[in-house]
Amino acid sequence: MELFSEIYSCYYQVLRHILSVQNAVTIQDIRSQISREGFAESLLSIIPKLENGTWNLFDKDGELYLSKLKSPLMVPLSDIEKSYLKALLSDLRIGLFLDEGQLKTIQQLLAAVPPLWKPEQFFYYDRFADGDPYPQDSYRSHFRTLLQAQKSGQYVDIDYNSPNGARVHHYYVPARLEYSVKNDKFRLLALKHAGRSKMKLELLNIARMQSVRLTEKPFSLPVDLNAMIRHSYYKEPLRLRIVNKRNALERAMLHFANYEKNTIKIDEETYECLIYYNQNMETELLIEVMSFGPMLTVIGNDKFLHSLKTRLQRQRNILFPEA
Amino acid sequence: MSDFQELIKSFPKTREYVRDFFVYGFKTRNEFKDKSPRTYDNERRRLESWLSPYIRKDYVSNKANISLAIDSNLLDTNPLFQVWKTKSFTDNDISLHFLILDLLQNGRKMTVEEITDSLLAEYETFFDIQSVRRKCNSYSKEGLLNKEKSGKTVVFSLDNTLPAWLQANEAVMDALAFYQMASCFGIIGNELMEQFDYHNHTFRVKHSFFVHTLEDEILLSLLEAMNQKLEVQLEIKSSKKNISNTVCCIPMQIFTSTRSGRRFLCGYVGKSKRFTCFRLDTIKCVAALEQSEEYDGLLLKLSRNRQYLWGVSFQGTERNHLEKLIMDLQIMEPYENYILDRLKREGRGGTVQKTGPNVYRYEIEVFDCNEMLPWIRTFIGRILSLQCSSKSVEQRFYRDLQTMYHIYQINEESKGETANGVIF
Repeated sequence: MELFSEIYSCYYQVLRHILSVQNAVTIQDIRSQISREGFAESLLSIIPKLENGTWNLFDKDGELYLSKLKSPLMVPLSDIEKSYLKALLSDLRIGLFLDEGQLKTIQQLLAAVPPLWKPEQFFYYDRFADGDPYPQDSYRSHFRTLLQAQKSGQYVDIDYNSPNGARVHHYYVPARLEYSVKNDKFRLLALKHAGRSKMKLELLNIARMQSVRLTEKPFSLPVDLNAMIRHSYYKEPLRLRIVNKRNALERAMLHFANYEKNTIKIDEETYECLIYYNQNMETELLIEVMSFGPMLTVIGNDKFLHSLKTRLQRQRNILFPEA
Repeated sequence: MSDFQELIKSFPKTREYVRDFFVYGFKTRNEFKDKSPRTYDNERRRLESWLSPYIRKDYVSNKANISLAIDSNLLDTNPLFQVWKTKSFTDNDISLHFLILDLLQNGRKMTVEEITDSLLAEYETFFDIQSVRRKCNSYSKEGLLNKEKSGKTVVFSLDNTLPAWLQANEAVMDALAFYQMASCFGIIGNELMEQFDYHNHTFRVKHSFFVHTLEDEILLSLLEAMNQKLEVQLEIKSSKKNISNTVCCIPMQIFTSTRSGRRFLCGYVGKSKRFTCFRLDTIKCVAALEQSEEYDGLLLKLSRNRQYLWGVSFQGTERNHLEKLIMDLQIMEPYENYILDRLKREGRGGTVQKTGPNVYRYEIEVFDCNEMLPWIRTFIGRILSLQCSSKSVEQRFYRDLQTMYHIYQINEESKGETANGVIF
């Protein structure tokens, strides 16, 4: 079973799309398709092969190209793809997506296929122990309603128990379903009206939802989610100084891979990393920075630095109360 | 520049470049000391071509630095999947791919001779019979075509039942949209979605490490060996010292950290008679050896040992069998009960006990307490005491604290705080 194979290549995908068009197309149409779906320099490789007929996949009629394929191509699955699907069927979360009937059918279709991996072959040693209750009926029902609402762009009516114990009841537009591998939990990135036709982004734990009701009301305003997330960042990013000892740089780059960041080399061994974050991420980020101990130095922003110093001062006061 | 090719033949060399760009993000030509400038230029040009929407250029001291702006919380897919879609092929490969699959779409069974003739008759394309046979056999091996013997003749056919069912069930596509980001071998889920022209606009994944996809070829070989209970020989290149060595072990399990972004193979090394973990990103090559007869017994042994693992180390620095750690924490009730929740969900089996008003004791026995230090540091500000049977762990914790006090100038200047940390 090959993972790195030309049958999955970008060029094959682009060509499949062009060949599936039943009408004759111009070379300009083909160029546009390659520019949209190919790599930056794919045009240079693909176009000459089509123009000179080396890839004999089109009938040419003057300036027009007509696909030689008789119908839109359905590509069968390779063994590795089947094994991958079979492995997913052993994952608890698959029940959030497929109902019993679908699960039964796909189990039958893949009956003779060995799974690519088994859950017990992986051990997530630092995953939190209080993951979401995926098999619970109400959880599955909430998840599916949110999924449907997100895809169709409809408002949902959510009754929610907030972490501080308050009961919240609001209309939201589901923007994304966010899964945390570390927490083993789903959260909803939800849009909520914040007055004056403005929308505000909120994060809601799906497991804390008491009820989720799909409404008839559609939401059709264009929303740039990433712009909203970036807008929520503090103006001043966290500024870390990293001296590359004990692999500190690599550790930090991987550890903070989640965050929007930019890293600049200051000198041979020193790097400065800017991490962009918002109020929701603040405590988690502070904890993560503390876990590095003296391997990282926070040099800004003032607010973050103050939070870190407060914790250190509090620690010092505990250990040396009379100092 | 005329010999520049956008596609590549083999993955491993590129894997290292992409990882370097991803992790370090800002290496210039001069910093790739082991490679020739021409190699660097070609690799960099390829990366820029494959990942063009994610390339960021910064100018530092008038020098252009290239880096990848890949921030997982803002993306609906893993941009590094692109690297898997770059395998080069011949002109015959691509033509035969589309024409043979099109020819067999209606489910008919054909011999290689019939296929070759039909390609000429129906598509006006001539291929020699050997090329067609090679392609059909190769696709049968990959599972795309069925190969059957009918008397003395061999026939090839194609079964579209599964793809047709998948296409008709959007729920499967939703599942793939999720798993391509949240689970191992996401590249396969991503390719399947592409095959059905489906895109993810629904899911985001936190704490998913995009760079893991670069290790998937190694992971695949290891899982194949595990499934067959085979011993393997690993070629390992140390990330620190840049030296290579080989190790033989019986691959048992993949250990994954959801925090540090590291994945390890836990293997049993017969030579030292110990379980040992190897970082997947340092494994360059896996060669399968003989089947291991002790495999099932070792799995049981590992499962017994795992309860004493904090991370991936089976032995502490002081070489004790087990090390004990006790941490007393100040937790102001009831406002700080979330700290108790943290201890329970993150404490990996350690016990939590109330020992006094607003004081809780966390206690655990593990192989190597040194691995606990990053987690312990996250409680800075409320640690009343830390005791460990490995004194070096205690010393390191307090030494690091002192260093941090020094770095952040924590001294007499903040006398306005009480021992509880309440700011006046």
